[in-house]
Amino acid sequence: MLSRTRRFAALAVAAAASIALLSAQPGRAADTDNVIRFGASLALTGGLASEGTLVKDGYDWMVREINAHGGLTVAGKKYTVEIKYYDDGSDTPTAVRLTKKLLDEDHVNFLLGPYGSGATNATSAVAEQYKIPMVDAHGSANTIYAKGNKYIFGVLNPADQYATPMLQLAKEQKDPPKTIAFVREDTLFANIGIESAAKQAEALGMKVVYNEKYPSGTKDFSTIIAAIKAQKPDMVLAGGYQGDMIVITRQIREGGLGVKMLGFLLGPTVRGYVGTLGALAEGTLEPTQWNANMGWHDQWFNLSSEQFAAAFDKEYHYVPDYHAPQSAAALEVFYNAIRKANSLDPQKVRDTIASSTFESFYGPIKFSEGGINVGKSMACIQIQHVKTTGTNEQQYLPVPVWPAKLRGSAHVIYPLK
Amino acid sequence: MQTVQAIVNGILVGGFYASMAMGFSIVWGVMNIIDLAHGSLIIIGAYVTYELCTHLGVDPFLTIPVAAVVLFALGYVLQRYLINRVLQASIFATLILTFGLDRVLVNANLRIFSADIRGITVPYTAAALTLGDLRIPLIRLAVFGVAILSTLALWLFLERTRLGIAIKATSFDPEAARLSGIDPARIYAVTFGIGAALAGIAGALVAAVSTFSPVIGDGLTTRAFVVVVLGGLGSVPGAIAGGILLGVTENLVASVIPSFSDAAAFALLIVFLVARPRGLFGRRFYAEI
Repeated sequence: MLSRTRRFAALAVAAAASIALLSAQPGRAADTDNVIRFGASLALTGGLASEGTLVKDGYDWMVREINAHGGLTVAGKKYTVEIKYYDDGSDTPTAVRLTKKLLDEDHVNFLLGPYGSGATNATSAVAEQYKIPMVDAHGSANTIYAKGNKYIFGVLNPADQYATPMLQLAKEQKDPPKTIAFVREDTLFANIGIESAAKQAEALGMKVVYNEKYPSGTKDFSTIIAAIKAQKPDMVLAGGYQGDMIVITRQIREGGLGVKMLGFLLGPTVRGYVGTLGALAEGTLEPTQWNANMGWHDQWFNLSSEQFAAAFDKEYHYVPDYHAPQSAAALEVFYNAIRKANSLDPQKVRDTIASSTFESFYGPIKFSEGGINVGKSMACIQIQHVKTTGTNEQQYLPVPVWPAKLRGSAHVIYPLK
Repeated sequence: MQTVQAIVNGILVGGFYASMAMGFSIVWGVMNIIDLAHGSLIIIGAYVTYELCTHLGVDPFLTIPVAAVVLFALGYVLQRYLINRVLQASIFATLILTFGLDRVLVNANLRIFSADIRGITVPYTAAALTLGDLRIPLIRLAVFGVAILSTLALWLFLERTRLGIAIKATSFDPEAARLSGIDPARIYAVTFGIGAALAGIAGALVAAVSTFSPVIGDGLTTRAFVVVVLGGLGSVPGAIAGGILLGVTENLVASVIPSFSDAAAFALLIVFLVARPRGLFGRRFYAEI
């Protein structure tokens, strides 16, 4: 028994020593084979797989774009870029494990973010621990950037800004909504988004008549809708998983809840929303990080937002919503920083990311102290012109309705029928 | 008024829960198989309905028989050639097998149908019966009706037909059933087929009133499990009672504090497990394996 314990102890010591040796190994793969490797754990299966796949498309598009433009030259040496992916199955603890694996075993140079606030929050701790910068495109919870973590950067506007364009749009209407109801899934993103929205609504002089959360996995909202209906709100704003947002929209109609304005932190432009709801989707609002009409221009690849959308569509055969350009921009942050730093040293690249600003087709990028992009603001779209073609194919336009400069001559559907 | 509306909503959603749980309950009651793939079978039923509706443009309720037949065939084959092989082994073997089967089905569905969220919105979504402030959406009433009718049909089948009686006989004593000329392997396959057909019907209803994707099956299996514990294993009226009890509890709590609705449902489960493990309508024979 004793000898077995001893043998185990010896083995453990040997294992620990070899792990220590491995992780102490300086220099990463790029030094030997002219490839800069990025690593990303993504939700390619599981509950967030549809979003995760959009993110991968954005990352992949940017890889091709960079390599098509001759890759990156660092200290006189030419490199191509490559991404090593792992599928975390939409599970946060798995994402953490795989992110460590990317650094320990695959020796990637830099990290790209996973999908979603929960996974980004958890994996950002790995980036901090290894002192390897991670640029994420889909971690919108403000808490991620408020922990003093020096190695996490998000290209997007954070959750507390999501509701702003919808509330501002509401205020600009003739006979604006006076009362508002909020309902949200009890998750990090929706909680931050809606709590901030409630404060903003009050500051704008609206009366908050209902504000409740529901547990994840709720399949029926009819009673919540009835409780909201009893308060007779002019406007409803909901936040949570996109499948829930579809059911909520439908049950608002089933329950006969008439509102002047209906908005979501996310949902209407995600694949499946209009396809499932058809005409019921008409007039719904969603904030957007990006829109092809925003008129941004990229300084490195000489591309406008519109040109990006066209080029992406040509390659992937779908019109990109904000997911793809936002993801592509995360990789471009590294492109910009590596070029300017002229180095692959993680610390130098991190410092350059933090201090340097640039213009991308996704919008201006400038990081705050905490690492969140403060260079751009959000806009808001309204689903309009929903049409059924064929047996059950839905066509629609996400019309930018706020700010006014994006709207142009388009009109806002208000109040809803 | 809001309380009455919550109770009505709870009853309506309870019928839907009953239809999800009935197939799960009969498979568990007759063969002592806790079918962890039940949720995935429901999802396959939902896809059958979804595909028929989008390609042929028919009403989701008309697709219910097709979903039931397709799932019966799938269930029959799965039991006959796969699950029957481990039936004599311990409950862990069947648990592991159905868990593995569930993973295979989830990933096959992801491959075939993608992870996109699906659902069907019928033209009569906004139609409702109103009684003062009380509102009963027609589609919800229809779902409730289908759920109750299919559950009643199952009950009649088990009580009144030779095959139904043979299923019950086999569940009570497979050896004695064999002596009376019943082939247990075939009866088990038919039973699993019926369980799967009921999952198919529930799936058609999921497609009509909710949203689905390949990965939400686990949550449906969990709900079915709760309903069976509340209502009683293998009991047809128990599934209806358990479903309605769960639906009404959730909705009453949701009308006051929505964030507690899940906690209330599972608290109810614990209360039943402690105070009345047989459930509302559980009979001794079924659970005593």
